[in-house]
Parts: sequence; structure tokens; C-alpha cells
Amino acid sequence: MNDTAAVPFRANAITALRDSALRAAMSNAAETFSAKRSDAISGVPIEEWREQASELRLSVLDNLADYVDRFETNATRAGATVHRAKDSKEANDIITETLKDHGVQKVVKSKSMVSEEIHLNHHLQERGVTVVETDFGEYIVQIAGETPSHILAPAIHKDRRQVGKLFAEKLGCEYTDNPTVLATIAKTVLRQEFLSAQAGISGANFAVADSGSIVLFTNEGNGRMCTTVPPLHIAVLSIEKMVPSLADLPKFIRLLPRSATGQALSSYMSVITGTRKSGETTGAQEMHIVLLDNGRSKIITGKYREMLKCIRCGACLNACPVYRMVGGHAYQSTYPGPMGIVLTALLDGMERAHPLLDATTLCGACGDVCPVKVPLPDLLRKLREERVEKGFTPKLEQIGMAAFARAAESPVLFHLGQAAASFLWPIATKIGAKEGLERLSRPAAKTFRERVS
Amino acid sequence: MTREEIINLFVVNVAKVSAEPIRMSGAGELNGAVAGLLTETDRVFCPSITEIEKGLEFSPDKLIQDYVSVSVCVEEAYAAIAETGSLVFESRGGKPVQAGLLCAHHVAILPSGGIHESLDDFFSSLGDTPPTNVTLETGPSRTADIELTLTIGVHGPGRLTVIVV
Repeated sequence: MNDTAAVPFRANAITALRDSALRAAMSNAAETFSAKRSDAISGVPIEEWREQASELRLSVLDNLADYVDRFETNATRAGATVHRAKDSKEANDIITETLKDHGVQKVVKSKSMVSEEIHLNHHLQERGVTVVETDFGEYIVQIAGETPSHILAPAIHKDRRQVGKLFAEKLGCEYTDNPTVLATIAKTVLRQEFLSAQAGISGANFAVADSGSIVLFTNEGNGRMCTTVPPLHIAVLSIEKMVPSLADLPKFIRLLPRSATGQALSSYMSVITGTRKSGETTGAQEMHIVLLDNGRSKIITGKYREMLKCIRCGACLNACPVYRMVGGHAYQSTYPGPMGIVLTALLDGMERAHPLLDATTLCGACGDVCPVKVPLPDLLRKLREERVEKGFTPKLEQIGMAAFARAAESPVLFHLGQAAASFLWPIATKIGAKEGLERLSRPAAKTFRERVS
Repeated sequence: MTREEIINLFVVNVAKVSAEPIRMSGAGELNGAVAGLLTETDRVFCPSITEIEKGLEFSPDKLIQDYVSVSVCVEEAYAAIAETGSLVFESRGGKPVQAGLLCAHHVAILPSGGIHESLDDFFSSLGDTPPTNVTLETGPSRTADIELTLTIGVHGPGRLTVIVV
């Protein structure tokens, strides 16, 4: 996905819309998550919390370089080795080298969007390292050879029968469509992987500058396995995940799981600070932390900087009427939905991302649900303006818009255009332009001006 | 909040996240309560590090040192948080925090004085040099990755019992 070819969003959306099973699954997911979120925020001072969290995120972004330095100092003091990676290639190389140095052939991995962003699995597998995804949904997607469709429920596009068939085929077990039995099968397979893996790779939901800790939320417990069972732990995270101190965490603990799954807190939340100290029996013997920039230091200086407040809860995906219809795969990007459109434009560039700017109705729902008040509708509007400025709109639209601009300034031309539209309509619909015109409403017999004058 | 209100809030929230709270008046009843939770075939790991853990008695055929192969882990929690119904486990004092994750049934014993009222109370108390691993456990392991159907006990324990002493 490093290429700059434009995402064929329209074609992807058409395919997705024709898949009725996918549409049912996506809208079920979006509605369920949205309803759970609504329940979870009723009766709590959510507006106050959002405001506080937004302010804190902004103040971190204002001094991000300092927080990153402070984090590095403290994590190093706690026994971790901190690496800085300016882009995907550097991050992948650091991780590969570290694994090679330790002769690691197989790693267990817990869900990390940053690792998806840098295409880590692909990179490692090309270099002969086996990567085992251990989040149940990620595992399903991995053995199916697919990519996640939702940042919280990666395999939401598959129903229980499809998962049952997949397990029977790939794992050689007896077919079942019982989700509990399927989870038990995966647990048994993955337990052996955890116990035999030489290294674990995780992401991080937050990084704490004053203590050098990384913070992970999981419901299944796979994140805890990956970070405590193997002797080597590599955490890969992007630099904007910083929070000042441990005392600041509750502000985000109260918002992240509520906005994501509607829980007051995920089943497991771990604060990991460096390596196992003398007298301790928990913690990796060696820990490497890869801090990924990948364009963020530049984004922070520009007009889209507030996007970096995002804490990856997924609430805007579930709220988005476009995402609900087409699902995550149509965006063909690491991050889908409203936040995904903005991030893809910023990380991959307009050339690749510009068709995604059609995947928004600008209804504002994404901005309303964002726990850290990322002004998503504003950012999407600004990106649309930039798309026009950079000339990424379709030729026909450019001509049409230019013609309309001329006509709107001249009553004579405007009137002429209206007359031409009603005169040409029957002809245009007959000569093959039908496909494009059928979605437009036919010109009125009498124009508005004729009716009121 | 009074201590009693904090304990009550904690117990209510523990039940809300599908864990099983048990309240008892004194440590004297502990051995009976723990024994009552174990089935015939259960094999148990207990770290035997804290005073409470050292006071627990198990029949020798039940107790196993290797926590990877047990069905039940019985241990004292380091602290708890009433606001969310969470237990806190830490690597402090040589505790193997992952033992409570590898078992199928996690039994946590909690002295009621260790319950913090809010997340802020607990995280402010950590300072800037926490132990290597601090884990908040809020209910059993869960997933909803197939059709959003709730499934309990994926990688971690499917059952969490909290004994408040």
C-alpha cells in the first residue's frame, strides 16, 4: 500500500454495497457499538471529560518533542532500549534487526494499528520471521489471508459459519459455528504459540513521559500474554501517544473503552515500565520500544494538527453513515472511516487518498462522538478544499464547476444554461449518458424564477 | 465516601463486569471459602508471598508450583478501584502477574482497606517509578469478535472470583 495510485473508492463501495451479508454485518456492528457507547456515556459528565481530554492532548502536541525526550530518558532508565524511526522502513528495519540479533524465528503479536500502518507483518514474513496474530479477530483475519475491516472488531465482516469453515479448513478441526467453541479452539492453538514464542510484539494505547511506561488495553488478555510471557518484548508506537504522567491516565481511561466498546474499563489494562528488575518474576528480560514518526512531526506544524489528538477508539467509524454502509475494506487503507480518511490523506498523500474524500456526507456525526474533540468535519472540509486546489477532482467536475462559476455571475448565461438543460435533457438521456444522469433529478418544466416572477 | 460505601460500590461494580464478589468478615473464614470454590479436578497455584497467601492451606496434591499448567490461581490482589470494579496486580515483591492470566479461574483475595475510591486516587498513588508491571483486571477475559457475540474466557480466565475480607 506504499504506492501512490488513487484508492478506487467508488468501485470498492459498489462492490461492498452489493454484498448484502457484509452490509448486514457492518450495520449490526456499527449500531451495536454506537448503542453501547450511548449507554456508557449516559449519567457521566461526558462533555466535561471530553473538554479536559482534548485540552490535555493539545498541550501534549504543543510540546511533543519534549515529551518524547522525557519518555525516552525514563524508559531507558527503567531498562528499555528506545529507538526512533522516522518512517515505516526505519521502523521495520529496527524490528527485523532486533529479532535477527536474537535469532528469533517466530513472534506472537497483539493488535497494533501502527504495525498495520508500517505493514510490519508483511515485512517480517518476507524476511523469514513467522508472525502469529493473537487477538481472536486478528487471528481469524490472518489465517484467512485478509485485512481487518474494523479497528476494534477486525473480523466483523465474517459470520460464524464462515469462521467455522475457515477453522475446519486451516486448523483441521471439526466444523462448528458456535462462537464459544471457536474461541476455545483458537485459545488452545494460541496458548502453545505464547508459550513457545521467542518474542512478543505489541503496540501501545498510551506512553507515559514521566515514568517511561507504555499502557495497553485488551479484553482477551492476549496483550498481557505478548508482553509478559516471551523473554523479548518489542513495542511499536507512534510518537503522539504521549501523556504527561500516570496521574493523567484516568482522564483517558474513562473515555477510551466507553467510546470504543461501551465498557467503563476493558478487562485488562497494563502499565509496563521497562524490563524485569531484580527480585521480580514478571516482565520481559529485554524490551525495545520503537517510536514511529512517519510524518507526524510535520503534520503537527500544519493545519491538520488536531488529527493527532486521536486516541483510536473507533467511535467515529461507528457513527459514520458511509462507513456503516460500505465497511472498512472499501477504504483500502490502514485506517478506515472519518479518522481514516484524514489520516490516509496526511500519511499517504492526496494523490492516493483523494477519492476517499467522497466517502463523507459532512453530517458531523464523527465530530460529535469524538472523545477528544478532533474537529473531523472541519478537517474533512479543509482536505476537500485542498483536493480542489491541487487539481485532484475529476475533469468533468472541474469543467462543470468552472462553467457554473461563470454562469452564476451572469444572469444571462444562467438563464441560457437552464434553457439548455431542459432542451438537452431528453437527448442526453438517449445517447449513452444515461448511466451518469439517472441519479440526477430531471430539470423542472418551469424554473423557480419563472414560477415566482 | 465512607469506607463502607466504597466497599459497597466496589462490590456492585465487580458484579457488573461479570465477576463474582464474595464478602467475608474475617480472614478466619478464608480457607473454607477458597476450598468451597475448588472442584475435584482443579490444580492450584498460589504465590505464597503475602501474609494472606501464606496463611492459605491447600491439600498437597492440589498445589502446583508451575503456574502454566494449573486451572486455578489463588492470590492476594495488591489493590482495587471501586469506580470501575477493578483489581490491581503488581510485579512488586516478586509476584508473577501473568499467573492470574494463564489459569481458567482466577480467585483474588482483597483486604477491604486496599480499595481506592477512584481511578485518580489509585494512579496518583503510583508516582513516577512504578514496578515493571501494573495490571488492572476488570472482569473475566472476553471477546466479541464473531458477530459481536460475547464470549467469556478467550486467552485469560473465564471466571473471576473476588473475595473481599
